[in-house]
Amino acid sequence: MALNIYGENLDSRLLIGSALYPSPEVMKQAILASGSQVVTLSLKRQNPAEQSGQQIWRYLQEIIKQTNGHLLPNTAGCKTAKEAVTLAKMSREIFQTNWLKLEVIGDDYNLQPDPIELLNATEQLISEGFKVLPYCTDDLVLCQRLYDLGCEVIMPWGSPIGTGKGLMNPYNLETIRLRLPDATLILDAGIGKPSDACIAMEMGYDGVLLNSAVALADNPVLMAKAFSQALQAGEQGYVAGIMEQRQTAHPSTPTLDTPFWHQS
Amino acid sequence: MNIHINGKAYSLGNEPQISVSSALTLHFIEPQQSTFAVALNGDFVGKAEYDNTMVKNGDSLDILQPIQGG
Repeated sequence: MALNIYGENLDSRLLIGSALYPSPEVMKQAILASGSQVVTLSLKRQNPAEQSGQQIWRYLQEIIKQTNGHLLPNTAGCKTAKEAVTLAKMSREIFQTNWLKLEVIGDDYNLQPDPIELLNATEQLISEGFKVLPYCTDDLVLCQRLYDLGCEVIMPWGSPIGTGKGLMNPYNLETIRLRLPDATLILDAGIGKPSDACIAMEMGYDGVLLNSAVALADNPVLMAKAFSQALQAGEQGYVAGIMEQRQTAHPSTPTLDTPFWHQS
Repeated sequence: MNIHINGKAYSLGNEPQISVSSALTLHFIEPQQSTFAVALNGDFVGKAEYDNTMVKNGDSLDILQPIQGG
């Protein structure tokens, strides 16, 4: 089934980052292997006359063309709503998209989003026509506020960016899913293993956004395929309906006419 | 006039102000041939405003380009 992001149907439920790969070519091959149609990227201070940023930009344009995909610019490095809004406008001019992965960081140690600045930035950006995909903590009320502001997509973290610790607080994540049944929920950040992504999908999350888990693997291309399959398995498991856990054992094999030793 | 471009100090002679377009040209940037966006003192300046937006002494210009991101 397709993932719908702000009215766009996508074949893959995996959103993937473009950073930290051993080379631009490995990045391209890994992203293509992942099947993802949404690739995140960023902006940084750079003199265009030096042409140093042009190579990666060419690669990303090729990937988007080949996958019929979408760029998802982020606001990495922003600490205030004002910074994020300025960077969002700069991104929109360059990339010609209203989609925005909104990051407003409140703490440098664990790169934890600042919920106050995030809400302020979201409100301003939505009023200016942006389609905001906010990266946020796994706080139910924050997610509700973001949804109420008009975010159709919400992206709570699994654990801090780049840690690979997986889903730190499954209860919070499950509660967000339960309480916001109509929101498109993307598990963003902290994914380490394909099984982490699979668990998120089994919870009923609509997709997963990751970067380091693929880019820092010994074989990023193979890991990208593994994640693609893990997401599919998790999604199918959720759709199929997972059995209720039970407190006590129940024999799988029929007990009627059990041979030998139980019979008197 | 002294300004900062991407955090680096530049001296641009005795002009009291110059347009963003002129500042970019001094920085060897041709707006039509490169992929970048500009902010002046932390506020976005769209390409259509480069000729009309003035850079004054003490101002800070940021020129950003695409890079990898997560």
